[in-house]
Amino acid sequence: MELEEAPKQHYSEEEKQNIFNNEFMPHIHSMYNFGYRLTLDQDDSKDLVQDTYLKAYRFIESFQKGTNAKAWLFRILKNSFINDYRKKSKEPSKVDYQEVETYYNSEEVDRQITPDLRVEALKDMIGDEISNALNALDVDFRTVIILCDLEGFKYDEMAKILDIPIGTVRSRLHRARNLLKEKLSEYAKQMGYKTT
Amino acid sequence: MLQLILDGEATHEQKEQFLKHHLDECLPCYKNYHLELKIKELLKTKCCGGQAPSDLVEQIKSKIGAE
Repeated sequence: MELEEAPKQHYSEEEKQNIFNNEFMPHIHSMYNFGYRLTLDQDDSKDLVQDTYLKAYRFIESFQKGTNAKAWLFRILKNSFINDYRKKSKEPSKVDYQEVETYYNSEEVDRQITPDLRVEALKDMIGDEISNALNALDVDFRTVIILCDLEGFKYDEMAKILDIPIGTVRSRLHRARNLLKEKLSEYAKQMGYKTT
Repeated sequence: MLQLILDGEATHEQKEQFLKHHLDECLPCYKNYHLELKIKELLKTKCCGGQAPSDLVEQIKSKIGAE
């Protein structure tokens, strides 16, 4: 399994337990939320998180004590999701997002699709609208928003977690936010707000 | 640029220039900045903070103990 390229560490049993309990377990709630937002299913999320923690323990010597445990764990979870979960699910075959991104990043397209959503409309979205809008995004776009806006990862950390260049992180995030705004403006319209 | 500011990735100078000067003279950026800020804030308050089920924590701990 590919993880951080840190030299292999040697830990005693006690150190392993310490790292696991003090550096890994505190992220369990964020990990569960991430798993849930990816799979959109509570049981699948539990399986995914459990699987991730077991892998983390098994490969604990690839983790350098005191480094960014949260990013390390998120990366394992993301890889497990792609390798194990996605294969099983009936999700339609993956689109080449690099291609899609190149297309959508041209400014021409950008100007056309950015909806004129207003802050006032957002203020009335007190229910699940924002959550539903996020869940409705395609998983690659959803992921960058989760990592950036929900979990507060920096671009360089996201690049490592996702194994993509920082430039791609930025463009994917930009596109994801525009898609999210489109969804939100649909809700705003339903709520009776004029969006133009 | 807006995105860099929003995500805390801009330099001090970029931030200064954008927030203190550019926003005063560019209405589309002004509107978009406040909209994006609000969405980011909403995402954080509405989509975060769920707790992992306690049985999940217990299962993980017992499986680790058994390894």
